[in-house]
Amino acid sequence: MSALAIQGIGAVGAFGCGVADLRKALASGSVSPHSVPVPAAGSEIELPVFRAATERLEEFIPRRSLRRIDHFSRLALLGACLALQDAGRLEADRSRLGVVIATGYGALRTTFSFLDSFIEGGDACSSPTHFSSSVHNAAAANVSILLGVTGPSLTVSQFEMSVPSALLTARQWLADGRVDAVLLGGVDEYGDVLGYCWKRFYGVPDGVMLPLDFARQSAVAGEGAAFLLLTREAEARYGFVADVRQGNLAGALELGEEPRLVLGADGHRECGTLYRRHLPAAARVAAYAPLYGSLPVGPAFDLAVAALAAGEDRLFAPPPQGENGLPCALLGAGRFGEGVLGCLKLGRGGDYGLISVVRG
Amino acid sequence: MSRVVPVAVTGLGCLCAAGADLPSCLETLFREERNPQPPTRFGSGHPVRYPVFEVPAEPAGGDGLSRTARLALAAAGEALADAGLERGALAGKRVGVCFGTTVGSAMNNEEFYRRFRGGEHPEMAAIERFLGSNPASVVATQYGLAGPCQTVVNACSSGTDAVGIGAAWIRSGLCDMVLAGGADELCRVTYNGFISLMITDESPVKPFDRLRKGLNLGEGAAVLVLESEEVRRLGKRPARAFVSGYGSACDAHHLTAPHPEGTGLKRALAEALAQSGTTPEAIAFVNAHGTGTPDNDRVESRVLAQALPGIPFLSTKGYTGHTLGAAGAIEAAFTVACLERGRVPANVGFADADPELPAEPVRQAAAIRGDSALSQSLAFGGNNAVIVFSRGEA
Repeated sequence: MSALAIQGIGAVGAFGCGVADLRKALASGSVSPHSVPVPAAGSEIELPVFRAATERLEEFIPRRSLRRIDHFSRLALLGACLALQDAGRLEADRSRLGVVIATGYGALRTTFSFLDSFIEGGDACSSPTHFSSSVHNAAAANVSILLGVTGPSLTVSQFEMSVPSALLTARQWLADGRVDAVLLGGVDEYGDVLGYCWKRFYGVPDGVMLPLDFARQSAVAGEGAAFLLLTREAEARYGFVADVRQGNLAGALELGEEPRLVLGADGHRECGTLYRRHLPAAARVAAYAPLYGSLPVGPAFDLAVAALAAGEDRLFAPPPQGENGLPCALLGAGRFGEGVLGCLKLGRGGDYGLISVVRG
Repeated sequence: MSRVVPVAVTGLGCLCAAGADLPSCLETLFREERNPQPPTRFGSGHPVRYPVFEVPAEPAGGDGLSRTARLALAAAGEALADAGLERGALAGKRVGVCFGTTVGSAMNNEEFYRRFRGGEHPEMAAIERFLGSNPASVVATQYGLAGPCQTVVNACSSGTDAVGIGAAWIRSGLCDMVLAGGADELCRVTYNGFISLMITDESPVKPFDRLRKGLNLGEGAAVLVLESEEVRRLGKRPARAFVSGYGSACDAHHLTAPHPEGTGLKRALAEALAQSGTTPEAIAFVNAHGTGTPDNDRVESRVLAQALPGIPFLSTKGYTGHTLGAAGAIEAAFTVACLERGRVPANVGFADADPELPAEPVRQAAAIRGDSALSQSLAFGGNNAVIVFSRGEA
């Protein structure tokens, strides 16, 4: 199957908004999480969270049109608009554009707002607005409606494998000639319930993510959206997605000789064990999750970083990694060159996703 | 869009309110039986007890999995047995899983949330169950499958999209075999949601009828075993049908209402027909989305009257209710089974023609002519998806 040309990047996270802010975060190697109060058995605790703001969306879409659009869809809309703008295709025809969105949890806050509506007012007071916006594909629908995209639309929810899985379909659409371009994005949001779950499952992190300290639970929750505009063209602004593989470690995980990898390691000890077990000694690896946090669609951000690296022919020095138990070497700053940069995500159930990016 | 290579369907599994397996469902359809009742698995504070189509039996699979995941496993088991595939036959093959769902992907456990917002410290069992119940992952894990895994959450077209995507995985060489389908359980949250939108009928659903008032929710699952020709021939498994085309497009119009002219549906239909190379004369029937909501049925009948005039169409939701993310898969299984039988059941619930609709559905069970059939879905978000099936080898 042909490689996918990456023509635009649109990313929104705690680091800011757009390629310039992402580049700045990569250069500084540091983004501070916000402190967010989390309800806990009648009291509150403070949890570090990488939150994302969407004010810049009004540069693209009139405020009036955004009145009923929730945070989840706003994140997706902003990511999509930024990717189109970055590609210089904000005004392009969208009749042969497809939308593929990956999400781990969907519109969490609106999901619970809908429950609030009938818990507070009784079943007869269930809010139709919250219900229709809580459906997982609401973000893709809002992107299509507000940007006038009439090609196919798909939303995939496969927890941390959502992005590689969604990319398989984006690639298929382009290969089949169903569309000329695909807006592929990952989006997830933070909410109170997620904060509570985080505290229960992992305790309260100190806010310092050390993704390659595989013995330490250091994950900090994140939210945001990362979009790419993908085409079949022979020229690409940010290199190409040369291959996508998704499967289970019950099968073979072939990483090649001396692979260079952006790891989806994001401070979860349980997954860290898998990386330690499956990384070959000849690999060189880096993880950038400390810039955007831990979220199911983290691989979309990893892919955005890899694409930016391909586009600028430079590998970014990773933020502090805390390497402990790493069976291979770190991937430091340098030229991207002619090789492959893989984005590898290993999931709890032994699932894996591997997205290979090349310059040309 | 050029014509594509058809992909074989070698096994089918289905359970819903109409039956515990596909043959039982078909018998129910051709007996024109249905029995929607107010929900028994959850309470409701609504003054009207809106009927639903429940799966009577508790699907096997244990407490650690959601009902949706257990429905998915039951359908997958039937489909694999139907294909004559034992667990060992899947080893070493590139087997993917592509499943549609809605409820199965929603972290909306009401009891957990009531306790959370009440200031309590709820235990995490409900969340752990949610995290361990992704339908595609559960099926892949249960059968030790190492191929790609995708849970499609395109609302009510999810099941149709999953079958179309699964077929594309085979065609592109990504997989030797795909378990494609959909699963969804009845849930108080979605029950409240559809009632809040005022598109739920307080009596049994009446697709395409003049007096239709909305849908009845249902639950169930269906799975299609899709295989590459190479693997199928090696295993000497006959094709029950072929997925010969798939199309999808977005209305880009409204979050919950279809485009009044059905622009996305027309495009999806045209794409599916072009992929399959099927001419209207070869189409035996269309298994329509036919939810029984005023808007859906109006748009769908207009598009069908315009694009496929005179071709019989029906909705099977009168027998199953609207099973959301499972609907497209269940209807795909029914479509294949009806093609095999050479007959379609009546569009139960239809009695009075609506003068606003330019076409009316099949009133009585009837023999069909033609080697292809369509199954189509319309969804929240303006999604439209259409699959073309062609007759198999049996």
